Amino acid sequence: MFDGFNWAYFFAGLPKALGMTLAFTAVAFVCAIVVGVLIALMRTARIIPVKWFAAGYTEIFKNLPLITAIYIIYFGLPSVGIKFNIFVAGTLALVLFYGAYLSEIFRGGFLSVDKGQREAALAMGMRPLRVVTKIILPQAIRVALPGAGTMMVDALKGTSLLVTIGGAELMTHAAMVVSVTYRPFETYMLIGLVYFAMCFPLSRLVGGLEGRIASGIPLSPTRARMLRQVDMLVLARSGRLATSGSER
Amino acid sequence: MSVEAAVLAQDLDRMREKELIRVSGLTKSFDQTLVLRHIDLSVAEGEVVSILGRSGGGKSTLLRCLNLLETPSGGSIEVAGRRVLADGVVASGREVHELRKDLGMVFQSFHLFPHLTAVENVALGAIEVRGKSRAEALDIAMDLLDKVGVAEKARSLPRALSGGQQQRVAIARALALRPKALLFDEPTSALDPESTIDVLRVMRELSSEGMTMLVVTHELAFAENVGSRIILMDGGEIIEDDAPAAVRQSSNPRTRSFFQSYAEG
Repeated sequence: MFDGFNWAYFFAGLPKALGMTLAFTAVAFVCAIVVGVLIALMRTARIIPVKWFAAGYTEIFKNLPLITAIYIIYFGLPSVGIKFNIFVAGTLALVLFYGAYLSEIFRGGFLSVDKGQREAALAMGMRPLRVVTKIILPQAIRVALPGAGTMMVDALKGTSLLVTIGGAELMTHAAMVVSVTYRPFETYMLIGLVYFAMCFPLSRLVGGLEGRIASGIPLSPTRARMLRQVDMLVLARSGRLATSGSER
Repeated sequence: MSVEAAVLAQDLDRMREKELIRVSGLTKSFDQTLVLRHIDLSVAEGEVVSILGRSGGGKSTLLRCLNLLETPSGGSIEVAGRRVLADGVVASGREVHELRKDLGMVFQSFHLFPHLTAVENVALGAIEVRGKSRAEALDIAMDLLDKVGVAEKARSLPRALSGGQQQRVAIARALALRPKALLFDEPTSALDPESTIDVLRVMRELSSEGMTMLVVTHELAFAENVGSRIILMDGGEIIEDDAPAAVRQSSNPRTRSFFQSYAEG
């Protein structure tokens, strides 16, 4: 099947294209998380216009194909005087699109935390901000993390649509290879393999993380240290009990 | 001032010194519905006050108003000499924070923090509210878990504990604040009979150690045997406030009706 395939040409541009795909994914996803959290918080706000704005944004971008967002930003906006380079336009489209989905995932996370949790923490005399950071957020994150992880894999695959604006990522590289080699089947098979090699382990990682989170593993180094202290304390006390038991 | 008057004034001062909670003219309404009607209440240090009454009578709301989880509509509340509600106006956030340190609360559905182990649940208050170091707080937490009989579950997450164990951890969590009084909101209503016995045993021990407790409960035996006072609420009012024996013998038709329906189950 690969007889006479120009491997050298395929591999020559691959690292750069791979780098671009990862750059688009990383930058867009980190920004989308920020947008997602902000929009989720805005949707729980008491100020009605803020709530409506957030809901409007989410509904628009949830119901718009990603490619439409890419075209509007890259081809449409210049006609009203707003012009972005390819990287900014592509990233912006991804951020707006995945930000909308992530906001729904984060909102679900916040809503999943029982009202009694906040009350119990306040009743203990905890400050409201500490209640959010120590009680609400850790629980919301645990609920949101699996969904957000799946979105990250989806965002990585979503970067392939940037071929339509010449994003210089994997799919654009494939299109260039095809235009030179006239071997679309082999080229797209290989690019598919590259995507799979990145997405499959990432999906497995997200799945594994889900299980570990459910088992109550610490998400922060501070808590990990605290649990180690607990283990040592439990051990010391059980030792003391055993000693006092044998003395008796 | 006569000698008698001076003695009376001294007695009054002594009583005030021992008075931990004073509530006067407390009202609370949700929308247009008045759920607490002009509540007057005084609780002295070391008292165990059982709050009985039919569902919807305002018992839990009264308890939740005491630590300002519900904002009262009117009246005054003073706890440990600190006025936290004056004529319906809530004190500053700092005062409310101090109030909540003084009044530990135990909920019907436990409300343990599910992402933290039992010992972390208990240590959290000592760290966050009492400003203890992690090591000190964990030590305190282990002692308290031992006290309520669940030390062997220190490293367990709440979901791995039975209802009774969860409620005992919740009591330990409230005790970690070193409160001046504990508020119990139907602490055994969500428990099976065996777990109920375990939790009531812990509460009985706390009472014998002199802990001031306000307990919203349906456990009449606890109210009569452990409680020093019974408050009976009906329609948002206190209709009885006396020693358990006196309340049982009350001729008030509303009181009699309550005990009759209680006996009929």
